[in-house]
Amino acid sequence: MGSNIFGGKRDAWLLVLVMLVAVLVFALITSEFRLNNFAITLVSGLFQGMLLFLVASGLSLVFGLMDILNFAQGAYFMVGAYLAYDLQHATGVFNITEAVPDPNIRFIVGVIVAILVGAFLGWVLERWLLRPLYDRPLFQLVLTFGVSIIMLEGIRNIWNTTPYSWTEVFGIREAQFTLFGQDFSMYRLFVIGVGVLLIIGIALLLRRTRLGIVVRAGVEDPEMVSALGINVRVVFTLVFTLGCAVAAFGGAIAAPFLGATISLGATFLIQSIAVIVLGGLGSYEGTAVGSIIVGLALATMQQFSIQVSIPVLATITPMLLLVLVLMVRPQGLFGEAR
Amino acid sequence: MAETTHTTPNKSARTASAQRLGFVAGLRENWLYWLILVILVLFPFIIGWLSGDSPFGAPRGDRMVMRGESVYAQSILINIFALAVLVMSYNLMFGFTGVISFGHALFFGLGGYLMGIILEFGGMDPNLGLLVSLVVVLAVTGVLGFIVGLVSLRLRGIYFAIFTLAIAEMGWLFFRGLEITNGEDGLNIASMPEWIDPARNRILVYYVGLALFVLTFVLIRRLVNSPVGSVFQAIRENEERAQVLGYNTLRYKLFSITVAGMLAGLAGMLLAIMNKEARPEILNVSVTVDALLMTIIGGVGTFTGPVIGASGLHLLDTFLREAVITIGPLTIDIGERWTLILGFIFVLVVLIFPYGVVGTWKRLQMRFRRNK
Repeated sequence: MGSNIFGGKRDAWLLVLVMLVAVLVFALITSEFRLNNFAITLVSGLFQGMLLFLVASGLSLVFGLMDILNFAQGAYFMVGAYLAYDLQHATGVFNITEAVPDPNIRFIVGVIVAILVGAFLGWVLERWLLRPLYDRPLFQLVLTFGVSIIMLEGIRNIWNTTPYSWTEVFGIREAQFTLFGQDFSMYRLFVIGVGVLLIIGIALLLRRTRLGIVVRAGVEDPEMVSALGINVRVVFTLVFTLGCAVAAFGGAIAAPFLGATISLGATFLIQSIAVIVLGGLGSYEGTAVGSIIVGLALATMQQFSIQVSIPVLATITPMLLLVLVLMVRPQGLFGEAR
Repeated sequence: MAETTHTTPNKSARTASAQRLGFVAGLRENWLYWLILVILVLFPFIIGWLSGDSPFGAPRGDRMVMRGESVYAQSILINIFALAVLVMSYNLMFGFTGVISFGHALFFGLGGYLMGIILEFGGMDPNLGLLVSLVVVLAVTGVLGFIVGLVSLRLRGIYFAIFTLAIAEMGWLFFRGLEITNGEDGLNIASMPEWIDPARNRILVYYVGLALFVLTFVLIRRLVNSPVGSVFQAIRENEERAQVLGYNTLRYKLFSITVAGMLAGLAGMLLAIMNKEARPEILNVSVTVDALLMTIIGGVGTFTGPVIGASGLHLLDTFLREAVITIGPLTIDIGERWTLILGFIFVLVVLIFPYGVVGTWKRLQMRFRRNK
């Protein structure tokens, strides 16, 4: 199947460039060449892209290495969101306002606890439930789905299902920044910044550390890696734990802005699956680039769909983009052509 | 996917020879299926006799009101028939041909929506409308299955699965936003032919559903035991090998996906007739996930597995949803915890029945025979 015109990695970047330019030009047109409108689209697109990346990165790492489509990833996102919110506020289940009076510190505590709990739950899922099933991949799918239901129901029972509204953290929600004469909440910038840092951080982890080398080798050929004397199972557990921790972290970061609602995880999960396939399964850069493209396209189409008042146009965008990319490049943007 | 080999060639050869031996031998081979069929045909009357309620509903004035145990039981079984046809069609594609699709809900939902739109806005005589719907649903789901199948020429494995997911999600979002079908509220189908109106003649809907269920079961069994079915299974085990043997595997996959899509469309029609509405939920990815889970839990690549998966989970769903268990001072309202219990069921079934209910049962049987 190597006769594809978009075969190599150079062509993948070229395609990415074409898509980005197309999206940005379309965004300019829909904003009627007014820079402040364009800025809204740009910031909102990057923001949504980063939120997608927070769920998709873990999904992508886990799928690339172990071929597991973790249906519970959205639930880990929700656990993070609810925990972080709860710890920051006095009205929740766990009240730590006496021990930690400063709400900003409480937010940091919430994020850290979210990461730890997400990592722990991820470890439990991989070590005790998924590990016996590595020779039966379909059943892993059912299992992660079952675990997802249990976790979401757990959340529903611990916290009530009313959507929590968003809150002040470090004053950055109220604070504004200006781009092209348009004011934005600093929180968007904060989430974009965290997303970029995470992209760089995981990239460094994969490129510069021994674990990263083992993981990348494992994506290529897990049997070869274990033949070299490396305990792949431990690496699987580590990566899965990391993936779930990142998802919970994402939830914790997004919660103050999006508010914690029970259905949030499912929405993000489906779109994240679209992102990792669009980027090319097993490719980390594909996931990062895919998140940004999908986020930008989504924001542009949201703008456009309001103008032409066809709301469906915005919601189908991630899926439409995925279908178009797969038509041109069946292995996704950065996937290995087989 | 070696673990899904349950229909060994030996078994299908046995069935084929039974078919050649004639009716009596076939009866002996399949006695359990015939017994279940007889029970299902008599079911409304058995329940009616046991409960004392008429299977035709209770008369009020000059018409019947759909009330009583038998009528209620019929409605549960009609839902199971629709669900079982959906899951069997999914299993034909997934369990026997090895094609994993996450977009099966699209065919199911289109069946309901197309019929609803034709009946409501077609302006035809309802009976004619139903006939037109049948033709249109079969044509559209068939052509769509064919097109989606053509894409599988280029996309492999999980890429194909997610591609179908994307197509189906777009369908769901489209109908959820479509104004003439009332968007998220769904389309009420009022102009139903009287003879198949579940509010008047529930029992006829029951027999139509039973007929669809039985025909699907027989069709899939015949198909899988035919030479074409052997190629399906060869593709599932190793597509490249089937290609090397000279089979045009794309053609067979196309056939499998198209037939599965059409059957799912019919299942969607049946459900829409029963509910007298088409809601966007029938297009949601959760329908596909349900079909996938029921197939896996029942037994991938078996004939009875999907039926057991579909009916088992639906029955649990129906009865546990309303159940309240009291153990001493402790009262548990299962309905409130049902989704949680469902999650545990998935996890437990995966750990206890490693090959699905039917698959594990067959393996135990084989081991028992070998030890004897």
